[in-house]
Amino acid sequence: MGEFSESSRKRKGYLGALALIAVLVGLYWGLLQAPADAFQGEVQRIMYLHIPSILTAYLSFFLVFVGSCLYLWKREKRDDILAYSAAEIGVLFTALTIVEGSIWGKPTWGVWWTWDARLTLTAILLLIFVGYLMLRSLIEEENRAAVSAAVLGIIGFLDIPLIHMSVYWWRTLHQPPSILRPDKAPWDNIHPAMLTALAINFIAFVLLYFYLLSHRFRLGEMLEEIKVRKLGRDT
Amino acid sequence: MGPWGFVLLAYGIVWGAILFYSISLRRRYRRAEEELARLRELEAAQTHAQK
Repeated sequence: MGEFSESSRKRKGYLGALALIAVLVGLYWGLLQAPADAFQGEVQRIMYLHIPSILTAYLSFFLVFVGSCLYLWKREKRDDILAYSAAEIGVLFTALTIVEGSIWGKPTWGVWWTWDARLTLTAILLLIFVGYLMLRSLIEEENRAAVSAAVLGIIGFLDIPLIHMSVYWWRTLHQPPSILRPDKAPWDNIHPAMLTALAINFIAFVLLYFYLLSHRFRLGEMLEEIKVRKLGRDT
Repeated sequence: MGPWGFVLLAYGIVWGAILFYSISLRRRYRRAEEELARLRELEAAQTHAQK
């Protein structure tokens, strides 16, 4: 396990600063610069959080999937740490997506929650990865916990294509994609200022995600080193 | 609640939760750094004493 160098610390600092700037610009565009929606009015501004947070959660669970596959294949600890770190942050962004969706749903649909296919599948995704985190803390034998979690991480990721396709396969209250549509370019579907606000917020969420992930991953590495050193002292 | 009330509620919860997670991650990170530094010092002292 490598030493944490000063240059790595600096890179994280730059990433954090860049993420903070992007978040502030995103807030400015999302709350002040983008126009209100013609039908939904001001509440549509929740979209600038909702779409970036679910896409960030998908990215996170994709990394869980990659880390889990690599761990099952090569049994290298850093792949397991990557999967564990990404799962923790993915749970945060999925939970936030559900909360934002609920707050957006109340003024537009008239309800905080409905058992719609997309909403239910997203709640299942959250439960699977909360289960993933619980599994890691409940199984004491470390290798068994890592293998079981890796299998669950791979299965959990398979829920994402279902969530994406749910609006086509079932009759749902949730609208189909309004930006990434096969029949139209994104700029033909949405006002340029709205698209800009969405793009800036998406970049901000991704930068913030990688900033958090880099810290969570390094934390995982340190915890592993602590465990190894303590074991070395005991034996 | 008016439309801006829903917007501000959503933005407040999201950025509040992300801030809370960042602070808790930083705390866990610092604790691990301190623990690791302590273990390294202890090992160095033990190696020095054996010599």
